[in-house]
Amino acid sequence: MTAPFLFDQSISLFFAGVLGFFFGLFLERGGLGNPHKLTGVFYLTDFTVPKVMFSAIVVAGAGLYFMADMKLLDMERIWFVPTFFWPQIAGGALFGIGFVLSGYCPGTAVAGLASGRLDALVTMAGFGAGSFVFAVLYPYLENFYNSSAMPGATLPKILNLNPWFIIVFLIFFAVAMFYVMEKYEKKD
Amino acid sequence: MVKNNFWSPYAAGIGLGLTLLMTFYITGWGLGASSAFSLLAGVGIKTISPEYAKTLEYFSQYVNAEAPLLNWILFEVIGLFLGALTGALISRNFKLELDKGSSMAPRTRLLTAFTGGTLIGFASRLARGCTSGVALSGGAQLAVSGWIFVIAMFIGGYIAAFFFRRLWQ
Repeated sequence: MTAPFLFDQSISLFFAGVLGFFFGLFLERGGLGNPHKLTGVFYLTDFTVPKVMFSAIVVAGAGLYFMADMKLLDMERIWFVPTFFWPQIAGGALFGIGFVLSGYCPGTAVAGLASGRLDALVTMAGFGAGSFVFAVLYPYLENFYNSSAMPGATLPKILNLNPWFIIVFLIFFAVAMFYVMEKYEKKD
Repeated sequence: MVKNNFWSPYAAGIGLGLTLLMTFYITGWGLGASSAFSLLAGVGIKTISPEYAKTLEYFSQYVNAEAPLLNWILFEVIGLFLGALTGALISRNFKLELDKGSSMAPRTRLLTAFTGGTLIGFASRLARGCTSGVALSGGAQLAVSGWIFVIAMFIGGYIAAFFFRRLWQ
């Protein structure tokens, strides 16, 4: 039997709680429950967000493609994040503005509340309100929401490169970026 | 201002990456967060007005579900809360407060928190996920979605930081 393993609902919800627990623990311990640290990257004062984010992406990315190559995991049965080019560009840009205003993103707001921050609870009420606004406007947004679909698009496929070329590039890019950030933070 | 008993961001990032990898390996899903709030909004509207909720096509996935609260992402987010709470308590980093930029009035902070949150809630639906579901999970899969979202998010964030320079300073 090859991973991923598909469980019935109760086991699946149990794993959701356990995996979520570690997700929250590492977010909080990395400093990502703190809006000053979360927004620092946008003011060039604290680079915790890209440090945590890129470390996590290269570890999970290298691990995922390694496990697939070793036949420990069947990539075809993993849920791939779908690409809808323009809605995700527009959504990403709006998201960035909201991130700077509120000081949080969805996962980190939960970590912020868990460390006692009541402003994170207000931000979470906003997440619900924004989702409701989207649902109300959905009839007008539906065409755009479903536009520029690129089913199963990955960087290796569209660039026609071996995935390991991209992963090694990302590792070098991340290490160079971390080096510059450490230098810059020391200078301040 | 920033208490510094946090772990190294690289150690936390590696831990987070391994958690994401285990999530792919065990369940075949990635990590997420924003859809839990969409789900709660949908269930909330249904509780207040079932007739109105039926008119919202986007919420039909929750309104028509037999037990919408028995949801993978919702349980994951409850776990996230407990994990972060554990982290804050063991490191004595827990403090009840309204966190804000040092020169900001509390009322202004409530406004920026709610407005920013609303923008994020809307944007996450449009992009089909957030920093966890699209950027982290998609980024690690080398999915195009994850990388275009990350780039657009940083552009949006830097533009906002340019116009709101004193928000967090």
